[in-house]
Amino acid sequence: MDELVQALRDLNEKKVYELVEERIDRGVAAVEIVKACNEGMIAVGEKFSTCEYFISQLIFSSEILKHVMKRLEPLLQGTAGGPSAGKVVIGTVKGDIHDIGKNLVVTLLRGAGFEVVDLGVDVPAERFIAALKETGANILGLSALLNFTYTEMKHVVERVREAGLGDKVKIIIGGAPCNEQVRQFTGADYYAVDAVAGVSMCRQIYG
Amino acid sequence: MAEDKKKLFDERLGRYQAAIALEPTDRIPIATGSNYFAEVYSGNTNQETIYDPDKWLQAELTFCRAFPEVDVLRDNRIWGPLFDAVGLRMYKLPGRDLSPRDQFQFVEAEYMKADEYDQLIRSPIEFLFDRWLPRILGDFEKSGSIRSYMAFLKGGMAQSAMGQIMRNRTMVLESEMGMPQPMAGFFLAPFDVLADGMRGLTGALMDCYRQPEKVIAACDVLVDEMANLALSTADPFKRWPIFVPTHKACFLSPEQFDTLYWPSFKRVMEILIGAGHTIRAYLEGDWSRHWHHMLELPKGRVLCDIDNEGDIFKAKKEIGHHQCLAGGIKDPQFILGTPEEMRRQVKLLCETVGQGGGFIISGGCNFPYTTKPENFRAMIDAVMEYGVYDPAVKPHALPTQAGDIKAFNYPKMVTPWEVKKAELGGVMGNESLIAEPWKRLESMAYVWLWQWVL
Repeated sequence: MDELVQALRDLNEKKVYELVEERIDRGVAAVEIVKACNEGMIAVGEKFSTCEYFISQLIFSSEILKHVMKRLEPLLQGTAGGPSAGKVVIGTVKGDIHDIGKNLVVTLLRGAGFEVVDLGVDVPAERFIAALKETGANILGLSALLNFTYTEMKHVVERVREAGLGDKVKIIIGGAPCNEQVRQFTGADYYAVDAVAGVSMCRQIYG
Repeated sequence: MAEDKKKLFDERLGRYQAAIALEPTDRIPIATGSNYFAEVYSGNTNQETIYDPDKWLQAELTFCRAFPEVDVLRDNRIWGPLFDAVGLRMYKLPGRDLSPRDQFQFVEAEYMKADEYDQLIRSPIEFLFDRWLPRILGDFEKSGSIRSYMAFLKGGMAQSAMGQIMRNRTMVLESEMGMPQPMAGFFLAPFDVLADGMRGLTGALMDCYRQPEKVIAACDVLVDEMANLALSTADPFKRWPIFVPTHKACFLSPEQFDTLYWPSFKRVMEILIGAGHTIRAYLEGDWSRHWHHMLELPKGRVLCDIDNEGDIFKAKKEIGHHQCLAGGIKDPQFILGTPEEMRRQVKLLCETVGQGGGFIISGGCNFPYTTKPENFRAMIDAVMEYGVYDPAVKPHALPTQAGDIKAFNYPKMVTPWEVKKAELGGVMGNESLIAEPWKRLESMAYVWLWQWVL
């Protein structure tokens, strides 16, 4: 296994930064460094799926990744950031301002090579639809922490279908108050039990 | 209080206390901690709950009449004007920042920097005044300005007004409805003090990896502060438990929990239990890898609320023989389910988790705002049908538990009476007539400063 992939997988923060600097100095293309980080993040996700890692490790890995991406940003300008795994529009639905879970999904998706349009929190249906139309994304992620958002999620799903995006766009819901019963109520296509499951679903949809 | 209401109060309280103590009682209590449904059942908005105490009280009286089988109803909640008086930044409030029917929401941010642990550890009160309070209280942002003095003056006055509102609620709920409370007083696990209102979750988690020794030292310092806060705000008669919502444990790995979260949390709980109190702990999220630690605390003293993501059947097997459990009905069941599904779920709970006592029917830490009334009614009817242990048992309130506070100098103050007395050069007359009010006001103000952690 590549040393950088391994360092990220093992959450060895210092070593990740050292290796990134060393590769930049050696003239390794930023795209290649990103690729190794993507692999590392996938390895972290696998450890989460097998209960070796918990949410705290996911968040830590995503903070390390964010730091690396910030460092690489100027070097990536003008170059394609590698092949895109697909586009995802995501946000916390109207009435809810919580974003810990949503932010984690965003970083993991980016770590897996997706182009993510993060609309933030308290997002009304119209903004989701506008972003889907503008980007042509095939996936919409709806996040919530509060249980009174069920009707709002249902509203967004209905509006997306009405806008004629229903066939093309798959809708995933996630967050603490969601379950299969909530998915059925909202009419969403999928319910993601956690952040890593959500990323796997996106991979399958675009796969 | 009328005789029949007194009897009802005693019976409900006895039932609730028996469940917590794992003692036999007549039936499974219906006793959530946060009954959001009761606040809005009459048609009130969430803004009215926190800005119009009379409408809030009327709403809950309506609820009590409609659902007399419910055993407890919470008192101490947010009073919006107090938050406004000091410009508290940590909450968005319905009617002010959110639509009147939305629920209040916590605004998490980095109100403490990663390099400020040393000051917190050296002098928590100095840290509060120098760093934290100016960041969380908008009106105190410019410390030393006229507006900042006004903020504290108004904040103290608003606190008294809020105390009066809550006392009135307690009195009316008791005397007119015979209704006890699920809990009074509050605190946080020391780690949550850091991870909620100080560093925020991401900041606190980074600290766990980058400077774990500082996190542990800060948690250690916060043990006495949280015990002081809890003891100062608890029911003096110790009739109902002290409330602790555990917000961030569910994000931690078992190893992090064991080293960073649990030791200081356990010490606070030991102080409170030693003082004769019980505790109601919301085990938020999935605690299945952590809850075995509850076996380390005395039996029947910590009521554990099992959240939507937790498996209450597993909890019953693992800790239900040692601590009382509350929960069993998930949010979607209240909000989206049918009465028939509710009936089936309650029956299942009564036949499993309810066996042998030590079980309270509730949602995942609350009854949701958008609960369908027919589902709520179905839950109650099913408890009455399947949740009866022995109708011959007549529950009565337990006698007050004895206990003492040895761990630290309680109550905490910024300027103890001895300092003041020395400044005065002694007093001429009866010292306690002067000292007692001094201490009371000092300790009230001290608690006022710390209450913002929640």
